Amino acid sequence: MTYFVIFLGVSFILGALAVASNPSPYYGVVGLVLASVVGCGWLMSLGVSFISLALFMIYLGGMLVVFVYSVSLAADPYPEAWGDWGVMGYGLGLVLVVVLGVVWGEAIDFWEVGVVTVDGGGVSLVRLDFSGVAVLYSYGVGLFLVAGWGLLLVLFVVLELVRGLSRGAIRAV
Amino acid sequence: MSPFHFSFYTAFTLSSLGLAFHRTHFISALLCLESMMLSMFIPLSLWPIENLTPSFTLVPILMLAFSACEAGTGLAMLVASTRTHGSDHLHTLNLLQC
Repeated sequence: MTYFVIFLGVSFILGALAVASNPSPYYGVVGLVLASVVGCGWLMSLGVSFISLALFMIYLGGMLVVFVYSVSLAADPYPEAWGDWGVMGYGLGLVLVVVLGVVWGEAIDFWEVGVVTVDGGGVSLVRLDFSGVAVLYSYGVGLFLVAGWGLLLVLFVVLELVRGLSRGAIRAV
Repeated sequence: MSPFHFSFYTAFTLSSLGLAFHRTHFISALLCLESMMLSMFIPLSLWPIENLTPSFTLVPILMLAFSACEAGTGLAMLVASTRTHGSDHLHTLNLLQC
């Protein structure tokens, strides 16, 4: 199980590398989906089930809009996958940076693989993340209102940005 | 550093390096920002579990809300700059060209 979780972590790094190595946006989206799905499995295997569910449903559902935009607005006649030399060069350079950092800084210690979590046993126990997110509605109601106000503000920001050619916030000079 | 911590630190560093270097498309930079947000979400929800502090698990939910704000504003800027500049390539947004 420990090795499986380490495999999920390595796949998370690979997903981030697939986004960062400058492919066409069609393929960068694939890397982002890989990273988020693997991150869900990772959190699930450590026992953070509610946060993992929120990540899977809300994040991937919201990301669908970004995916549609990246397919429709960035129309490349010749999309670059990871087999092309430019993308491959970016990817290999980033891998080189990581390997140099690990070797030089001795950053990773493979003997400390254990992670302390709780494991629920029985009906009367509540997992940590369930009870923690419920705090958002009692003591953390200020943060809840701040987040809701931020989302409302973003509505007006978006409306102001995309209003029109002559009246919007961004216009051709 | 344990391998778990190493993987999300590395993912965050890779994503921010990818944002810093030259992007062809504007939406590719936005995807790098999303990837940075994702690799901040994972440790924010892992650390309360490791340290057994349940009330801090609301922090990733809040960050999910604020990243939704960021994604919405970024996509609106993408639409606006595509309208005004003709394409979403980042080199059309360069200030140094006349």
